[in-house]
Amino acid sequence: MSMFVVKRDLPGVTPDVLHSAGLRAKSCCTEMTQEGRPVRWIRSFFLPETGQTHCYFEAASRQAVEEANQRARIPFVEIREVVEMTPDSV
Amino acid sequence: MDSIELATSFAITRAKGRGQQTVTPDDLLVGCLHSISRLGVVELGPWVLDLEAMGVDWLVKPGAADARVSYSQEAVDVLDRAARIAGADGAGSIEARHLLAAFAAEESGLMADLKRTYGITSATWRAALARNTVSTLEAARPVDGTGEYLSPEQAAGKLGIHVQTLRAYVRSGKLPAMRLAGERSIRIRRSDLEKVLEPLVPES
Repeated sequence: MSMFVVKRDLPGVTPDVLHSAGLRAKSCCTEMTQEGRPVRWIRSFFLPETGQTHCYFEAASRQAVEEANQRARIPFVEIREVVEMTPDSV
Repeated sequence: MDSIELATSFAITRAKGRGQQTVTPDDLLVGCLHSISRLGVVELGPWVLDLEAMGVDWLVKPGAADARVSYSQEAVDVLDRAARIAGADGAGSIEARHLLAAFAAEESGLMADLKRTYGITSATWRAALARNTVSTLEAARPVDGTGEYLSPEQAAGKLGIHVQTLRAYVRSGKLPAMRLAGERSIRIRRSDLEKVLEPLVPES
């Protein structure tokens, strides 16, 4: 499984709408996992000043992450594979 | 899974079962009602909403279909509205009652049918949801009962007895119970369950 970042530009988005998007993302990831294409939403970071959001997903492929976001109808700018680093890993 | 996750899961499966590519508001409404139903009905306010009348075979678990479905824009709008209601309600997350409340003003689709059939208005629908606290809606469906307080059904399940027997224990004072403030529902503290159990002493 690899980690991916989904970058979004959501200017003016409200916390409520982010909750709605999160619920849709969670349900679509669950559905795809049950279909045998595991996708896991790890966490998201929202930058209130810019309206940018970085959402991290774990999946076997970029396509799976893209499909989960399309199914959840959450707009995105790009999806990139990332390498995770934590204080414990260095 | 909590009720809202059960609701979205059922909505997606229903959309797949219909051979559609999108989850519609009707799927969400049916999913939400299904998630809080018992024996195919939902008791909400003065109404008993029958899932069978909505074409839901509640005895059959929807099978997994191969279709890939997305949320429709209309379903997104309903979920956004539910999120705004949850925010206004001071809730930390979207719950089943917020999603149901999001349908209050709906004048098309299944909600319009329910309004016609049951004489529901936007205000009476919201009032019924307001009276039903989260706890009673969540307790409408049996869950694993891992919390400190159990519904009569959960407590009876833990003891392996019929729920009516458990209610008799409560009435007789054999088993302590508490009533949810201002409601008919009762809760039993998990730690009190042992009070109705006595060690078996073998006859000599």
